[in-house]
Amino acid sequence: MHIPDGYLGPGTCGFFYLVMLPIWTAASRIVKKTLKSRQVPMLAIGAAFSFVIMMFNVPIPGGSTGHATGGVLVAILLGPWAACIAVTVALVIQALLFGDGGITAIGANCFNMAFVLPFVGYYIYKMISYNAAVNSKRRVIASGVAACIALNIAALFTGIEFGLQPLLYHTAGGQALYSPYGLNVAVPAMALEHLFLFGWVEALVTALVVKYLQKHSPELLEESEVSR
Amino acid sequence: MHKNNNFIERSIMGALSFLKDSIFAEEYAAGGGFLQSLDPRIKSITFLLFIIQVLFSRSIPALLFLYGLSLILALSSGINLGFFLKRTWVFIPLFALFIAIPALFSKFTPGEPLSVWNILGFKLIITRQGVGSALTFIIRVAASVSFAVLLTITTRHIELLKTLHIFKIPQVFVMTLGICYRYIYLFVGMIEDTYQAIKSRVGTSVHYKSGQNIVAWNIAFLWSRSLKLNEEVYRSMLSRGYTGEARVLHEFKAGLKDWLWLFAVAALSLVILWMA
Repeated sequence: MHIPDGYLGPGTCGFFYLVMLPIWTAASRIVKKTLKSRQVPMLAIGAAFSFVIMMFNVPIPGGSTGHATGGVLVAILLGPWAACIAVTVALVIQALLFGDGGITAIGANCFNMAFVLPFVGYYIYKMISYNAAVNSKRRVIASGVAACIALNIAALFTGIEFGLQPLLYHTAGGQALYSPYGLNVAVPAMALEHLFLFGWVEALVTALVVKYLQKHSPELLEESEVSR
Repeated sequence: MHKNNNFIERSIMGALSFLKDSIFAEEYAAGGGFLQSLDPRIKSITFLLFIIQVLFSRSIPALLFLYGLSLILALSSGINLGFFLKRTWVFIPLFALFIAIPALFSKFTPGEPLSVWNILGFKLIITRQGVGSALTFIIRVAASVSFAVLLTITTRHIELLKTLHIFKIPQVFVMTLGICYRYIYLFVGMIEDTYQAIKSRVGTSVHYKSGQNIVAWNIAFLWSRSLKLNEEVYRSMLSRGYTGEARVLHEFKAGLKDWLWLFAVAALSLVILWMA
């Protein structure tokens, strides 16, 4: 889901930086207010954690492997605003140092993966697990459902961003200047692969991790949240 | 069919290749080439200008010129061209090449026919607009990735993160990025150790359901260790004089060569943006 440089036009890149600016500002203010001083390194460690989640290859039937993005898991563990900062930091490091995701597309990538993904996932999780005990099965189901839906919504946004490019940027002769496929191709391409494959991997990993935390460290599901 | 342990191999290989790539990049960053000799702040600004030029360029010759420039800069910085091409083309531009292929055809990009193919009764028409779209897309992606990788491998990562303060990014973010960067390596090391240990215990194959549980348990355990680490990191920050205010040390010095380079790239940017 990481959008590289060259896929989005300059206006789209600028637009998403502008959209993310107030979100980053609000996230820093809220986290600064709620973060206890001893939790300061937690953001950096949370960011490193969200960076490496993608390195865990998950076996899937048929002998292949997939990986989760962990955006919703980090939101459940840290809260959505802290997750927004942690995932942003991970995305900036990926783009600047490891070439994963474009530098000009950092705004768009953060919108999809550090804003839409953790916020949608967190509130679906909270809604389904409302009033449920920490060790209840409903929390496990809630985390899986939230992860699957949030990833699909984030993928849908990514598809729309790709699909708008030929409409926004083309030559007089109809030649696309950036991502070459319109909404009718880009949206189904992004949506279907996430609906049938990646969404399930995300749901499975998130639900299993929550299940393990319930069993072995239930306090981590409540205490580690640094911002709500 | 439902038994495999390639998720263990892939995780180990992923962790090892991450560490190996980082060591290579640090070796190039410590080299004595042209880009390594520039002030990291000036270099970051000029590479951002290059990437913006690539973003705004609308013609294939302009994009090819910028891509060629990235190769010349790589050579002048003592970077092995084979290593650089491999590093920049795998995976993003190759993937762009793959997804750009359907855009050649009239089904996706209607326009003036350039070539007509008849395969098994299906008429495939390659259009001029389709070829233009695909080429513009691939060269733009390749040029952007080349400049981004060039900046990354000719600058020490920690220095690159420190330069972010010139873009008015709050110090607390720069400090968080720095701490995060160090802990990524610690965590990658932990993942490698954990999977090596799993590999030595599971034998030749493991059922995919057990594999999924192993992965989930490891992620959960990593989180638990992260929280314990937080306490230790905070104590070590306090012992080093942390008072709640983030301070980032930087000892950069820009010389005449740096300013001339900035002037040259800024002038080129103006020409390219004017042409676009």
